[in-house]
Amino acid sequence: MTDITLIVNGEEKTASVPPETTLLKMLREDLNYTGAKLGCDVGDCGACTVLVDGMAVNACLMLAGQAEGKKIETIEGLSTLEEYHPIQKAFEDVAALQCGFCGPGMIMSTKALIDQGEDLTKQEIKDALSGNLCRCTGYTKIIEGVIDAYEEITGKKVPEENPRAA
Amino acid sequence: MVDDVKTKEKEVTLESLRKADDNLRLPTVPERTLFPKEIGIAAAREQTPAVGQRATRPDGRLHGLGQTKYIDDMFFPGMLHAKVKRAGIAHAKIKSIDVSEAEKMPGVMATLIGSEFPVNSFGPSLQDQPLLADDIVRHAGDGVAAVAAVTEQQALDALEKIKVEYEELPNVFDPLEAMRDDAYKIHNNESNIYASKTIKKGDVEQGFADSDFIFEKTFTTQMVEHVPLEPHASIAEWDANGRVTVHSSLGRITLGRADISRVLELPINRIRIIATIVGGNFGGKNEITTEPIVALLAKKTGRPVKCVYTREDEFISSTTRHPFVMEYKTGMSKEGKIMARKVRLVCDGGAYCSWSETTLGKACILSAGPYNISNLHVDAYAVYTTKTMTGAMRGFGAPQVCFAYESHMDDMAAALGIEPLEIRLMNAFHEGSASPTGQVLEAVVVEDSLIMASERFGWKEWQK
Repeated sequence: MTDITLIVNGEEKTASVPPETTLLKMLREDLNYTGAKLGCDVGDCGACTVLVDGMAVNACLMLAGQAEGKKIETIEGLSTLEEYHPIQKAFEDVAALQCGFCGPGMIMSTKALIDQGEDLTKQEIKDALSGNLCRCTGYTKIIEGVIDAYEEITGKKVPEENPRAA
Repeated sequence: MVDDVKTKEKEVTLESLRKADDNLRLPTVPERTLFPKEIGIAAAREQTPAVGQRATRPDGRLHGLGQTKYIDDMFFPGMLHAKVKRAGIAHAKIKSIDVSEAEKMPGVMATLIGSEFPVNSFGPSLQDQPLLADDIVRHAGDGVAAVAAVTEQQALDALEKIKVEYEELPNVFDPLEAMRDDAYKIHNNESNIYASKTIKKGDVEQGFADSDFIFEKTFTTQMVEHVPLEPHASIAEWDANGRVTVHSSLGRITLGRADISRVLELPINRIRIIATIVGGNFGGKNEITTEPIVALLAKKTGRPVKCVYTREDEFISSTTRHPFVMEYKTGMSKEGKIMARKVRLVCDGGAYCSWSETTLGKACILSAGPYNISNLHVDAYAVYTTKTMTGAMRGFGAPQVCFAYESHMDDMAAALGIEPLEIRLMNAFHEGSASPTGQVLEAVVVEDSLIMASERFGWKEWQK
């Protein structure tokens, strides 16, 4: 067993875990942050996406030890008791969450993307979310939700895409 | 003076004790998803009327906040984790299963093999599937034993210590070969064909004789896995009154309850199934999989037991969409009117029946397409092979035949030099048409839909 300390959503958290424990397992089972999901366990589906020092990471592929001392952001850290996070609100409003299993991962990937502060096109949004799979195929709505959230947070506009270009 | 020092010391000690106490107490406060105490109702949910307006999901907010509790997000005190050992061999007789080494592994609390089930068979129409194979393995994903251990890793490690001796049996992978009389009989039946359906309407031979052209083509489709993002999962807890509570992501809990009652020989009133939010079903979670296994392991250990399929389990052992072999023969007039059609469907059912019978029925009825065909003959067969079993999946056989009849239609349109939309409109069902099984159809809008859709998506422009 190894003591590992993470800064999860701004709070320091320590747990004693076996060395093979992944970041996802430690978050879910030792620290009770069950928002990130285990979908495939091999880094394909992105349901386990959390932010490590601001970078979107597949938590199922990262060992807890590799995240020692790092800042982790999970879905639980977005909204506060006072404020509903704009990404979560946008996803709810456009009905981007069907079974919802991919939702937390999608939202965290979206957060990492918007936090970069760059101007985005629809294609760039699609590329940025390509590591997150949705099987109910709510992709259309998910992209719509990301655009809404991006416009809400940054005040910028995503340029209209020529439907024939794709 | 001394008193002052003592008081100070006491304060410091108390302070440090309080801190230590706080630290000790910290982990006992479970993490909680924060959410605003009062969020307004989403605009879309306030509006009336509902039709023509934006819609939202009632559970969407919880999904987005990460608050939804899927099975894998639930933990019970003392809960164990179960894993299932897969055969890894397509067809074999099991000579022996030795779990003694696995039981000695650290953390292992119980093991389970198929013969421990009071009734080791289930299935929605034919009860031909074992929960854990105890006699014969019929596909590589068949479970042969299960382990419950303190951690998932310990359970996985223990699976490697289970020794199973097999005597290989012939593999049957091709459904057409499986249909032959000399094929190895996978379920020891007279034939590997376990369901068949026939539809006859009019006189097909006469129809072909009256046709100007005859077109023939064979279409095949592949096996498709549902791949729900949430794997199959369940948790069972046995209580002192001999009742079992199963938390499950099953889509059909009442059927599941009846099946569990049958396999465990337990009165149905002693089984409680709590359906949880499902992380994707698509038809793949319509029958019991892990539920009776965790139920028995919970009984053996006296603890709650959770089993979550690995992604590999999901691919090799859960049901899939049926691969079809579809032979179409259609007689056409030179104007493009369908005169007669003969269809032979072979549905590769894999190792067990599951929902194949239902699928076959639907495929058979829909195989002629939404077209007026006076002379029709459809033969459909579901066949056992030694592959992952196939079951319910979105459409129950309809997507496979749709691919075939529409591709066939395109081929014929091209050969006859008729515009693809035109040939469909010429043959499509209209008000009062009779379906292949003789049902007179009302409120038929095939033609309207085709015309409206082709206008909306720019069919004419696309053709240029």
